[in-house]
This record gives sequence, C-alpha cells and structure tokens, in this order.
Amino acid sequence: MRIHFAALWLPALTLAADFNRDIRPILSDRCFSCHGPDEANRKANLRLDTEAGARPVLAKIVERVTSEKKGLRMPPVSTGAALTAGQVDSLKQWIADGAPWQKHWSFLPPAKPVGWSIDALVQARLQREGLSLSPPAPKATLLRRVSLDLTGLPPTPEEAEAFLRDDSPGAYERVVDRLLASRRYGERMAIRWLDAARYADTNGYQTDAERSMWRWRDWVIEAFNKNMPFNQFTIEQLAGDLLPNPTRDQIIATGFNRNHRANGEGGSIGEEFLVEYAIDRVEATSTVWLGLTLGCARCHDHKYDPFTQREFYSMFAFFNNLPEKGKVFKYGNSPPLIQAPTREQESRWAVLTAAAESAERKFQALRPEVTRSVAAWEKNAGPVSDWVPKRKLLWEQGQPQSFDGKRAQEFGDIAPLGYYDQFTLAAWVKPQSPDGAILTRTSDKEEEAGYGVYLKQGKVQVNFILRWLDDCLRVESAQTLPLGEWSHVAVTYDGSREAKGIRLYVDGQEAKLNVVVDDLNQDFATKDPLRLGAGSGLRFTGEISGARIYRDALTPDEAGVLGTPRKLSDILASTNRSPAEARKLEWAFLDSYAPTGLQTVWREYWRTRDEWREYSATLPTVMIMQERPEIREAHILRRGAYDQPGDRVSRALPQVLAPGAQTTNRLQLAQWLVGRQNPLTARVTVNRFWQMLFGTGIVKTVEDFGSQGEWPTHPELLDGLAVEFMDSGWNVKQMLKTMVMSRTYQQSSRVTPDLLARDPENRLYARGPRFRWPAEVVRDQALEVSGLLVEKLGGPSVKPYQPEGLWAELSGGVDYSRDKGENLYRRSLYTYWKRAVPPPGMMTFDAAGREACVVRENRTNTPLQALALMNDEAYLEAARKLAERMLGEGGSTEESRLQRGFALALLRAPAARESNVLLASLHHYRDRYETDPAAATKLLAHGDSPVGSKWKQPELAAWTMLASLLLNLDETVTKE
Amino acid sequence: MNPTRRYLFSRGAHGLGIAALGSLLQKDLAAEGTFPNFTPKAKRVIYLFQSGAPSQHDLFDWKPKLAKLQGQELPDSVRQGQRLTGMTATQASFPIAPTIYDFQQHGQSGAWMSNLLPHLAKRTDQLTFIKSMHTEAINHDPAITFFQTGFQLAGRPSIGSWLAYGLGSDNKDLPAFVVMVSQGTGNLADQPLYDRLWGSGFLPTRYQGVKFRSIGDPVLHIQDPAGLDRPGRRRFVDDLAKLNEMKLEEYGDPEIGTRIAQYEMAYRMQASVPDLLDLKKESAATLALYGPEVSKPGTFAYNCLLARRLAERGVRFIQLFHRGWDQHNTLPKQLPNQCRDVDQPSAGLLEDLQQRGLLDDTLVVWGGEFGRTVYCQGKLTADNYGRDHHPRCFTMWLAGGGTKPGITHGATDDFSYNITADPVHVHDLHATILHLLGVDHKQLTFKYQGRHFRLTDVHGEVVKAVLS
Repeated sequence: MRIHFAALWLPALTLAADFNRDIRPILSDRCFSCHGPDEANRKANLRLDTEAGARPVLAKIVERVTSEKKGLRMPPVSTGAALTAGQVDSLKQWIADGAPWQKHWSFLPPAKPVGWSIDALVQARLQREGLSLSPPAPKATLLRRVSLDLTGLPPTPEEAEAFLRDDSPGAYERVVDRLLASRRYGERMAIRWLDAARYADTNGYQTDAERSMWRWRDWVIEAFNKNMPFNQFTIEQLAGDLLPNPTRDQIIATGFNRNHRANGEGGSIGEEFLVEYAIDRVEATSTVWLGLTLGCARCHDHKYDPFTQREFYSMFAFFNNLPEKGKVFKYGNSPPLIQAPTREQESRWAVLTAAAESAERKFQALRPEVTRSVAAWEKNAGPVSDWVPKRKLLWEQGQPQSFDGKRAQEFGDIAPLGYYDQFTLAAWVKPQSPDGAILTRTSDKEEEAGYGVYLKQGKVQVNFILRWLDDCLRVESAQTLPLGEWSHVAVTYDGSREAKGIRLYVDGQEAKLNVVVDDLNQDFATKDPLRLGAGSGLRFTGEISGARIYRDALTPDEAGVLGTPRKLSDILASTNRSPAEARKLEWAFLDSYAPTGLQTVWREYWRTRDEWREYSATLPTVMIMQERPEIREAHILRRGAYDQPGDRVSRALPQVLAPGAQTTNRLQLAQWLVGRQNPLTARVTVNRFWQMLFGTGIVKTVEDFGSQGEWPTHPELLDGLAVEFMDSGWNVKQMLKTMVMSRTYQQSSRVTPDLLARDPENRLYARGPRFRWPAEVVRDQALEVSGLLVEKLGGPSVKPYQPEGLWAELSGGVDYSRDKGENLYRRSLYTYWKRAVPPPGMMTFDAAGREACVVRENRTNTPLQALALMNDEAYLEAARKLAERMLGEGGSTEESRLQRGFALALLRAPAARESNVLLASLHHYRDRYETDPAAATKLLAHGDSPVGSKWKQPELAAWTMLASLLLNLDETVTKE
Repeated sequence: MNPTRRYLFSRGAHGLGIAALGSLLQKDLAAEGTFPNFTPKAKRVIYLFQSGAPSQHDLFDWKPKLAKLQGQELPDSVRQGQRLTGMTATQASFPIAPTIYDFQQHGQSGAWMSNLLPHLAKRTDQLTFIKSMHTEAINHDPAITFFQTGFQLAGRPSIGSWLAYGLGSDNKDLPAFVVMVSQGTGNLADQPLYDRLWGSGFLPTRYQGVKFRSIGDPVLHIQDPAGLDRPGRRRFVDDLAKLNEMKLEEYGDPEIGTRIAQYEMAYRMQASVPDLLDLKKESAATLALYGPEVSKPGTFAYNCLLARRLAERGVRFIQLFHRGWDQHNTLPKQLPNQCRDVDQPSAGLLEDLQQRGLLDDTLVVWGGEFGRTVYCQGKLTADNYGRDHHPRCFTMWLAGGGTKPGITHGATDDFSYNITADPVHVHDLHATILHLLGVDHKQLTFKYQGRHFRLTDVHGEVVKAVLS
C-alpha cells in the first residue's frame, strides 16, 4: 500500500552506493549484533563495524549472505533476518566500487555547505527527482500554520484580515517577528521540552503521589521567551548548580534531571532505585543532546554503536552523586530541593526578608541600652514570677504530675502535628524507671502511627511513625537521663521529614542523637489523643512538669532558656549566672518589664522573623541537582543489575565522541555538549525544531543518530542548519525564523496522486507540511476560538474537565477533583499530569506518557479521537461558546454568522458547497430542537460556563451542533 | 492512489462496508501475513490478573510439614541470604506461618486446593497448575510492570498490545485489547494500578488496551451527549464526512480519508459497545454460573461475564485486574473475602466457555505478580498472620486454549520458598502464551531506538510440558 521510502534512494544501479547512507545501515541492522562493538557477545571473533575487521572478509560477506546452504547462511536462518535482494545488490555495488569506508556520519563534525540555504538544498534534491516546490500556500493558510506552529494558538480573524490586506514586502516577516515576541511562544516551545524532560506532577511509582516541579516548568517557559541561547539553556539545566555563585534561577533550572520517576513504595530497596535514577538521567541527557541511545550499553557493550558498557557507566558517574535517597518520600518533593518562589512571591519574600533584617539590626543596635536597662532594673526589681518563652506556644501543662506507671493524663485532639509541621515537644521529667512514655499522640500498641517522646533504657527516644519499619523515623539520645532527678527534655523538628531535622536539648544543651530509622514517607498524624505519661504500650513512672508544645522549632537559645532549671527569682537573686540564665533574665525583662520603646523593638524583631519564616514555609520547592562532597563510587554493573557491581569507573565522555577529553564534573560535561567539538548537539537540536515544523525530522529517528538511526534525507541541509545555529550563538528564535521564512515551509500542502505515490511521507518537501496538530494544540485552539481560553503564564498545574472515576478506579483512593472557574480554561501545558492516569484528553491525541524522555512526535488517527472531539464535555462547551460568538459577532443572517464561525476557526470564508451542507445541517438541528426544546436545554448544559441568554435555546443548540461540526473538521485539527 | 481510498472518494463514508473500513484501518502484522507463524491452538486470551499477589501457601501449594514448625525460625539453609523487601528486611525474626486452611485433593488429577476455593476445586481437571513460577521483581510496581511488559521499568509495550500489533483483531467494531478492573473485598487499601500497564509503549498507540470502565461511560466518550440522539449523531457524522470529502478532493491527503473512516468507526463503536453490555439476553442459568455478584457492574463476576461476551465477539486479548490480594497482615481476615470474589466467577467463566465451545480456543490465565513468604510479617499468633512479597516461587494456573488439562508443572521445597523442579520464569510464561496463539516470541519484534525489541527481551523458553 505504501511505498517504502528507502525506495527513493536505493536504485543501486543508477547511484553509486554511499557507505554511510546505504551500506552501514545493512551491516548494522543485520550483522552488528553478533559482529559489532559488543565484545562479550561477538561471534567468530569477527567484527564488521570497523574497516580493519570488515575489509579482509568483503567477498566472504557476500558469499555468506547469499549462501543456499542453511548452515552457512548469514544472518542465521533461525533469526529470520535475511537480507533482501536489494540489500545484496547494494553490497555488491559498494564492493565493486572499491568499498570506500567512512566514520559514522553523525560523529563527523558538521560542515556548512558553501552558499547554502534551505530552499537551495531542498530544490536541488527535488530537481534530481524531477520534482519542484509547490506554489506558496494561501496567505490565510500560511498565517494559521505559522501562528499555531510558533505560539500554539491561532490568530484572531482581525489579525488575519490585517495580514491579508497587507501586501507590502516584509508583511510575513513582521508576523513571524510578532509571533516570536509573543509570550505564547515560550509556552508553545515548553510543551515538547516537557516531554523530553519527562515532566509530571506525580512520582510515577505505586501510589503515584504528588510532587511539585512546576516552578522548573515555568523556568523553561521564561527561558524560551527571553530567547536564552541554547548553550546556556543546556548548561543551566544540566549543571546550573555548579556554576560560580549560581543564582536561584540557575539552580531551579537543574530540575531537568530530577523530573524522572521516583519510587517511595514501602519495601522498595533504595540502592536499586538510586541506580535507576542515575541511568534515567544518562538516558534522558544522551537522547536529548546527543541523539544517542546510550541506554543500550547498560547491560553490555552497545550492539550497534561504538560505546562500551564501561563508557556508559563512566557517563553514569556524572549523575549518581546527589545527596539523595533511592526510596524517596512517597508524598511531596524529596531532597535535594530548593525554595522556588514565583516572581510575585519573590518580591514579597524580599520585602519580608528586608523587614526581618532591619528589625534585627535595630535590636542589635540597642544591645548596649538593653544591657544597661537590665542592670538598672535588677537593682530595683520587686518580686517576679518565673518566665519561659511563650512564642508559638500551642499547649502547656505547667503543674508537676506524678505518674505511677499505670495512670496517664489525656488531653484530646490537641496538637495534631505532622510531616511538614515545625514543632517542639518539651517537658521536665523526673523518672523513677528507665522506660516510659513522656508526651505522645499514638495508640497504646507498640509502634503504631503517631508521634511521641519516650524514655527507653534511660535514653530519650523520639518516634514519628506511620508504619513501623518502612515508614517511620526514630532517633534516640546517646546519653541516658539520671533516675530520680529532674531533667529538661526539648525536641525540635523543622518539618524537613528527615532525622537530621530533629534536635534534642537536655537541660538546655544540645545533646547528641543517634539515628535508628530514617525512613519517613508520609504524614503521621493520628486520631489518638494527646497524652502525658502514656503511649506505645508504655507508662511513665515518676514526675513530669512543665510539658509544652510549640508550633515552631525553638532556636537553640530558646531551648536553652526553656531548659534553665532555676526560676527567674533565683537567677535575679544570684550573681553567678550561666549564659542561658543571663539570657532568660534579659528576655523576661524585655518581654515584661522593659520600657515600651525597647519592648516594641524586641517584639518587632520576633514578629518579623516569624512572619518571614511562616511565609518561607509556604513557598513552592523544586527538586534540584547537587553534588555530595564525597564522590559516590560508580561501578560497571554486570547485566545492568544494581547488586552486581564490577570494575570501578570514573567520570568520562565516550571516546569516539571526545577522544582524550578530561571531563571531571557535570559542568564540564554540559559545556562539552554545547562546545564546537561535539558533532551532535546542534544537529540533534535543529532536527527537533525541524520535526516540530515539518512533522518529521531530517533524520526521522530524532532520538537516534547512531548507526541504527535513519540516514538524513538532506545531510547537507542538516549540517548547514547545525553550523548556522552554533554560529548564531545558539539563537533559537533566529533558527526557527530561518526555517519558517523558507519557501519550503511556506508551500501549499496540497498533494497530487502522483506526488503522493512518489513521496507519501513528504520527506522531499515538494509540498508543505500537512498533519494533525499535537494534543495540546487541538484543545488550546478550541478554547481560543470559543473565547474560553484564560491566558495566564505559569503557576501550579490545573485540573480541567476529566470524566469522573478515572483515578479512583485504579487506585481505590482519591479521585480526580476537577477545578472550577478559570483553571478549566488554561492552556493544556498546565494540565495536571498524573503519571499513573495521564490526562485522557492528551493521551488520546498521542501525547507522550511522561514516564521517560520522549522526543519523537507520534501521530495516529483513531476512532477514540473522533469520540473525544464529538462527545467530550470540554469540546461540547467550546462548541456552545463558539456558537454564541457566531450568533453574537456574526451579524444577523445565517450566512454572515456562518462566515464568522469560519473566520474564527479557519481564518477563511466557507465555499458555497460547504455553506450548503452546513446551513442544511443547521435547519435540520433547528427543526429537531424546536420540536424538542428539552433536548436543547440538555445539549447546552455541558460545561460550567453560563449559557448565553440572548438566544432561544433551540436556536443556540442548533448553532452549537454547527460549531461542533467546525471543531471536528479535519482542517481544524490539521496543520495545513 | 490506492483502490480503497479511491472507493472512499467516490462513495463517501456511508456507502462504505465495515470490511472495507477494517482493511483501511488495519495495518497490523496479521494483515501483512506475518503472523501467526504456525497454526494457533488459541485464538484469544482471557487473563485474570490477581493484583497484589495471592498467597500460594493458602490456596494451592500445600506444605503439610510446616504445621509442626509453626512459630519456628525459617532456617537459613532455606533462605540462603536472599534479599527481602524493605518492609521485613529489618524484622528481628522470621517465624514460620503455616496456613490455617484445610487442603484436599480434587478430581482425577488429585490436585491439592484449599477450602477457600470450593468452586474452582471442582474444576481442577480442567486446570494446568504451574507451581514453579518465579520473577525478578520484589515490589508491586516493578513486578506487575514485568508481568505486563517483560521489563521492570515502565515504557515497553504490554503483552496485550504486542498481540494486538501482531495478530490484529477479529472484530473491527471493538478494540483488539480490552481491560477491566475490579476491587476485591480482601485488602481494600490495596495496590493501585496504572494506565501504562496496558499501554502500547513504543508501539503505535492504536494497539494500547482500551479500559472498559464500570463508572460512567464504559469507553471514554462512547455515549452521545445529553441532548443529542442517535439520528442526530448520524446526521452529524454524515455531514462531517461530506465536508471532509470536499477537503480530501481539494488536498488529496489520504489522512483525511482515514479520518472520515474513523468517525464512521466511532459511530459504529457507539452502537456495538452498548450491545456488548446489554446482558438481557443472558439466561438465568448462565448468570447463575458466575454467582450472585454478576449483575453488579464493576465486580469481578460481572467482568468475567463480559470477558466471555468479548471473547465471543473475537476480541484478542481480554485482561481483568482484580485488586486486593496484598495480605501483609490480618491475612485470615482478608483472604476468605478475597477468594469469595473470584472463586465462583472464575469457575463459572470456565464452565460458560466450555458450554459454548469456546474453551478450546480461548486461553485462560490466572495469577498474580509474585508469591508470598512462608514466614510471618508482623506478629504471628495462633489465628493471625501476614505474608510479605516472595518472588522466588508462586503458583499460577492456565486453562483451555491448547494447554494440557489436569496436570501440575513444577515443584517447590517444603517451605514453598525455593523451586525444586522445572522453574518457569515470567519470560517463559510469555513465550508460552504467544506460542499457544501461534506466535514465535522471537519473531514478534519492533524496531525502536535502533533495537529490535520483543516481549521476552532476549529470554524465554516455551514450556512444552504444559501444552496439549
């Protein structure tokens, strides 16, 4: 049915065989897997991927691949991989020509052809085939094509009209410049980058809980919009953290390689997943920048390309050195991470920071006066009551209580603290037994969910538990508390979800903690009441006094003051004071006895500090790259298995690409990727841009520029573009402009049967591109032409319409809860992406699944797409709103209203025969809905937006069906 | 231009026969004559996936010697230092937890089965037990991904999509690969599932499994919207076809022809799916086979009946996922309920298929993603225990479709901890399923990122002993 495209350039009898184009693919596909770079699996000690190996046996190759004898035939008959007659002919021709050998084409540096241009090279090729470029596309068609290509949204009818009227030279170029300057451009470019970066809003394994990487996504949009040079774009995303004095933005950029899936499943083995994460980073990085499938060398030397397994793990070594855990937090972002305020938040944060700093400066400036005032007050102080820090005090039980190992005190639903909360648990204890519960919220069974501070064999033990052993945190003090004496215990927790976020103070002094389990994964809040003296099956024997819970992690100074044994009056009466006691005296004075002026400054100092801290805690975070101070060892992993380490390897680039390069960190790796000496990055990148505009890359296998990849249709064109891209300083907008300014891009996309037969996939460009728009563009366009689109740059992901139950069905847990209001109408790149259940409206239209890096655009044409466009609530609502626009903006006749619809959706007027069909359709539906107005009401009820009341419902319903026809047209969903 | 498209040109979509539509849409390998490689024994598969991992100890793999060892430590000679999950690896002891359920031999085959599965017990002579299944993954997500795609990490095509790609469909109104999901009454907070488990990976998306849902539309957007009736939709599809034909005439792009055909196919699917779900014509006797829950959409019983109806209609790969088998603790409380969900419907499905002569060419597969440990997870008491994940051995059964009935293949040691005879790896099971469908698992490949991928990676041996 289809003519295989290879037929276009394998008439071996007329054209001399080109090794890289014609011969290497045969050898690679049919021979290399046993006679290639993979040394361990090489058969007969024969390799055909090098000239030295192949040249001596050329005649033999032909003999064996054509042998009639089953036992001699190559490839072995059992593989079913025999060469075709055409391939055998090519081989013979090549040998007859003297068998010229070349290094694989993409590993040679690109060279700019003399006097090249896109059109000259495309036309030269067409001429050889006896073809030529098509005439230019109609202006409106071209405008729609370029607008949707560069911004992902259609122009307005008014913009179209202006362009149609503008016959001056440079009219098209001005449109292109306007589109590239539009902030919609960054959103459009981000879509495919998110696929490549496997960006999503959930972790992707098991529970598939939420993470938060949208600030990285917004960084990408911003970078495209300000036309950040692609080399800088690369370096910041791969190694922004290693730049000298990196800005917060440069660190946020490194989220690129933290977007991979991450496993928090109970019972998962951390080491195993640490390996998977590093491998994923190598694979994504090599696919996106090198167009190479390095992942093939995970288990053995690459079968087709000259990369050894050792080299794979040498690349791995650049990416395995994060201070990260293999088993990540089940919910939320896992370290390393950074606070990533939005631009708006950034300014508010700066204001609060400045206020806090200024308040502190003011307070510090008054220190001498404070000292003087305290001294003056001391001399005349009357009776004083004791003082303890009251800042953020949530609960206290001041009176001493006796516990006999049986009774406990219960306080109900107080202090429901959890996972992300910062808090302090403190009390005076006088134990008579080395085991007992002090302050807890948990059941009376051992090791059940909740939090608690205990004495265990005299040591202070802190438990935060959801499920014992694999979802819990336990630390205990190195020292034991003395029996029969009072000690003060304060435990502070900073909400970081890690053991290192817990500090213990005994008698106001920080005490050493040992980590027993550090595997907290989710919230540990329970319904059990707060209790003194009981929890986890333990009871307290002895006395407890001054139990307090603070809704913040107290500072060391505060903990010191709190843990001071002497009362304020005793401190006043004594001259021998510890620093903490002196501080207690001073703070008590400032709080209760100081002149108003001093008091105000003191309170302002704490207030601004708290306000800054509280605001900081609300800021979004992004997971980022970071280096551990001590480099984690990397080994070759036998068969790719995490528990089969072989030789140790150090960081290095593949030899064939970077012979002799000394590359010792990620920053150098990133710099090499965008350096002149790397033959791949520029080619691979311009090829992806070409794919975006023309539907298929110049190298169709955009993810594979190795020997199993497809030969470029226009090698000189690819090189010309690549060199120009580098010469321009990696200027992305300029590169896209060069492409869309070409005649090749601007051609009409009509096709004749003859041309279709000769070039069904349009790889020669004798016509313009014509294919269905990507998922995001299909939906965004419907929102725009119906007037529903809400344009707002960035922010947390949104949850537009989605059929009910999709999440619940698979997880039995929480279902998708869709947003209301403007979040229903945001551009599709902001749609919440749950990996286990990706948005069906996107997946139906071939969006990438975001499990791993995907750079190839995939396009199918299925009945499920038809069902979605006809019946999905989102498209029914868009049809209704488009109908309202046609009625409201389209004058008063049926014809003029129809014209308005065409202008909005297609930027053109309907042909007479189209009008005939559509108006007949309109009359048909009008009749139906006038006869059955209840049906009209139902049809109009889809979607949240209010139904326009200016029109009778049967009339609006009939026009809604008409608008739905427009939205379902092949032309509407197609780049034409 | 090819004749089909020219035909489409001249006649428009309404004149187009369904067969012509099929050939227009079908581009799978069967259409190219590549598969099957040899005469298949089975034409289709019903795969009853027991998600969460059923305990072989309490259902199939009886180890009477364990009764005396209750509470004793699992000998190191048995465990051999094998890795454990992070849930029990730090457990202080590994006490043996013998099953508390009674086992009996059944049928002529004399197969042992616990009293938790009384209905299936009556059909043991139809079943082919494999007691020596083993896998590499130790946690749910990688393990179930491995069973579905032959690889532990997401991204490869699922077995159903491989078969849809290789063998195409015998019914052009329904997808070749259909998935249905149910929640068991055992562990209600059980492991989640993921759309990618029936995804097509790097195969074209048209081969992915279509999930029939029990909530809302059975297939997404299959129902016309409220306010539009069938004639109204017919008119819509016809008018759309007219407009698209004008475009096709003008532009000559064959994709337009395909789109016209796909709208027509969508319209037909809208009719055939409700017909599929219309159970009114099922006799009371048939319904009774599946047990009391059969009329309740979303249950395993209901899905089993639908599976038979899909099999009758020629759907290639029908896969049910029943959740709730993850008995880490309180197994005695959970397992009886979980078994009740599936026992009668599974047995009823076999009977129903047999009565209709469908069992001969329908392969039924039953099993989870790994087994469970002989040692107790958590506290062992006389009447309570739990079991952790155990990838080193577990039991599955096959029926119909060219399998050898009434036999047991493979064996495990006295602890059901290690395999003692005839291990069957996940890749081997895949190779065997493909073989029964007439497909050589080494031949069904797809080139992606420069490599010829296949379901069984570079492994897999057909288990000849289970073939009839």
